[in-house]
Amino acid sequence: MMSARLLRHETILAVLTVIALFVLAMLSDKFFTGENLLNQGRLMSEVGLVALAMTFVIVTGGIDLSVGSILGLTAILLGVFWKYLGLPLPAAIVLAMACGTFAGWVNGWIITRFNVPPLIATLATLALYRGLAEGISEARSVRGYPEWFFFFGQGEVLGVPFQLWILGIATVIAAVILGLTPFGRATYAIGANEVAARFSGIRVNATKLWIYSAAGFLSALAAVIFVSRVTTTRSDMGTGLELDVITGVVLGGTSIFGGRGTIIGTVLGLILIQALKNGLALSGVKGDGTIVVIGLVLIGAILVGALFDRNRGG
Amino acid sequence: MGTAKQTGPSSGGRDRPDATASALPVELRSVSKSFAGIKVVSNVSFDIRPGEVHALMGENGAGKSTLIKIMAGLHQADEGEILVNGKAVKFASPKDAHAAGIATVHQELLLFPELTVAENIFLGQTPKTGAGLIDWATMRRKARDLLNSLDSHDLDIDQKVASLSVGNRQRIEIARALAQDARVLIMDEPTAALAEADVQRLMAIVRNLCARGVAIIYVSHRMPEIFALANRVTVLRDGQHVGTRPVTEVDEAKLVSMMVGRSIDRLYPAKQGTDGDVILELKDVSHNRVVRNVSLALRRGEILGLAGLVGSGRTETALTIFGITPATSGEILIDGKVTPIASPEAARDLGIAYVPEDRGQQGLIKAQTIEENIALANLKRLMRGFFVDARRVTDEAAKAIARFGIRARGPKQVVRQLSGGNQQKVVLGKWLATNPRILIMDEPTRGIDVGAKAEIHLLMRKLAGEGMAILMISSELPEVLGMSDRVLVMSGGTVTAEFTKAEATAEAVGAEMTRTRTPEIAA
Repeated sequence: MMSARLLRHETILAVLTVIALFVLAMLSDKFFTGENLLNQGRLMSEVGLVALAMTFVIVTGGIDLSVGSILGLTAILLGVFWKYLGLPLPAAIVLAMACGTFAGWVNGWIITRFNVPPLIATLATLALYRGLAEGISEARSVRGYPEWFFFFGQGEVLGVPFQLWILGIATVIAAVILGLTPFGRATYAIGANEVAARFSGIRVNATKLWIYSAAGFLSALAAVIFVSRVTTTRSDMGTGLELDVITGVVLGGTSIFGGRGTIIGTVLGLILIQALKNGLALSGVKGDGTIVVIGLVLIGAILVGALFDRNRGG
Repeated sequence: MGTAKQTGPSSGGRDRPDATASALPVELRSVSKSFAGIKVVSNVSFDIRPGEVHALMGENGAGKSTLIKIMAGLHQADEGEILVNGKAVKFASPKDAHAAGIATVHQELLLFPELTVAENIFLGQTPKTGAGLIDWATMRRKARDLLNSLDSHDLDIDQKVASLSVGNRQRIEIARALAQDARVLIMDEPTAALAEADVQRLMAIVRNLCARGVAIIYVSHRMPEIFALANRVTVLRDGQHVGTRPVTEVDEAKLVSMMVGRSIDRLYPAKQGTDGDVILELKDVSHNRVVRNVSLALRRGEILGLAGLVGSGRTETALTIFGITPATSGEILIDGKVTPIASPEAARDLGIAYVPEDRGQQGLIKAQTIEENIALANLKRLMRGFFVDARRVTDEAAKAIARFGIRARGPKQVVRQLSGGNQQKVVLGKWLATNPRILIMDEPTRGIDVGAKAEIHLLMRKLAGEGMAILMISSELPEVLGMSDRVLVMSGGTVTAEFTKAEATAEAVGAEMTRTRTPEIAA
């Protein structure tokens, strides 16, 4: 459907990922072990969940910088609802996630209702939501969650980390929606030419509202998993998350100008980045070196993408 | 000033070049230009004399803008030559044309809103001090002098351009051209966006320039201006040079017939069947101030032509019917029932289709394939369960390709690679796949070649014959007259006249379109 030409970037990325895994396995014997790989999957899940929604956002030609702040805000609300308002923990989780989803909806509302560029709108809410999180938390961290709660971030099902199952299911759902449904078609159409999409009877604003709300929802889900994994709630959680997420999505071949991108690409991009981070660390490369390598890989991927762009007819 | 690539006229720098006695500022000899094999300017020859206003007229698509762009150095002629002061020149870029003393005041003014008036006038040729810094004193003094010489004493040279009216910006563009020592000034529809008071002022400036020996090439559709200003008129039709006449030898009717020319009836398909019931009716529909109390009725099986100048409210009316800019007052009736239309989606579901004016921006997603484009307005219909049925999407596109004779490799070809005519057929295919009952076509054949044009006309007739109601907007008078069963003329956002097929002659409709309506335009 999104014909073979679009899969070329993904093919190259897949080959690159395999090569990276191979080289990293050579460099360190601790890298390519089941235990390490599953653990890396665990660490990747939060960024991964948000990246799924971010793929939709960027395919429409938008961006959401506020996802890290939404994660932080949700985490704080979860702790505050439970510890200081005395709600039962399940209710606190649901309520906090509803707030995170609402924060995403607000992004979409500002963008569609007032025609604010997504970069500006979410730059503002990045500050706003983080400020709210810090204000509400008053620099207190929340700990002492009940044991069952840690299952989300630390538990395993059939030997695979729980959140990896969640990420897997969410990935399949996202890939199906983007690739096979009218909603996905509308998402691509909006990114490729918003005016023509509107003139074809596509509900542009409603589609965008859904997508930004989904970004809020998945950021909130990531927050619950994050809190469960690290057992503590702090207001600076998720700081800088947006950059990791956007890096993964763009590395995955999604055009920052909109209209192009796939969930498969995003997943490959995320795996490559996580593998490089972990593998290089295990091989004794210092933190700074790892960042340099990731930067270079990103530039390389974009250059390759641009090369294909030029070759495409037109 | 830049370095001059030509010898001769440009070598004098700020000092007016020494024009050799009898030489003409510009002369075109047998100029031709083709795009993608279509000849848009064919063998055109005329000359411009110093100090004259030379009007360039013709319908949309007659080749005026291409010709202007050739003179301005934006396009290069395929054949023929351009002479400046008797010497053959070749313009590789607009810079070369500037250097030869030819400047253009474009329809969309190309100024920098965040710079001051003086900075804009001298952009690219800023006076410098000995140290290479900007000589502000000289620049401001010269800017002041230039504007004073254009009777624009009221313009503040230190003001940012962003805050100025269109009329003032235009004066700045003219001053800028003079700062470049332009001896030929091309003005492309200079009054299209001006209020009446500014039009008068512009005309005074044009006369002032002529008195100084600057030649003006004046492109306009407005008859009163042509007769008030021009010395000579050159008329183009279908890229051909119909004639150049002193303005005293022609009248309005003569000019219209020169522009429209050919016998129209023969070219357009004859009406099939008879008109049915009224399907769409507008009663005093308005949208803000661009659509004002429009009332019209459209019948099944009828092609209703909407004529008028650009900006007369034709497209705006279509956008209101299609729900892009929903009506702010008045009623839209479909099948006699009041039906508010709040969005394009609602319009589509009511059986209204709109083939927009701007194919590339509004009609198509050029980066996507034919099948993706055709599916876009039909997603609900092309589903199986929750999913888009990929096979039916391809089948639908294959059907449209066969039905409309779209010349393409297949449903998966990217639309960008198709020619204008075939792109238009994809837009039509997309909308006819929605099974509409009302089809609005805005400039259905703009920018497409003669063959594809005839095919689209034939198709429109066939659809009307099958009972579809078609509302056609066109700036090409022959198309309006040839295709329409009835013609409405719009001006100032409202319908000003209605003609039956028999009454709708080029002269009558053309006169109604170009009649200046001072109160509305100034409002």
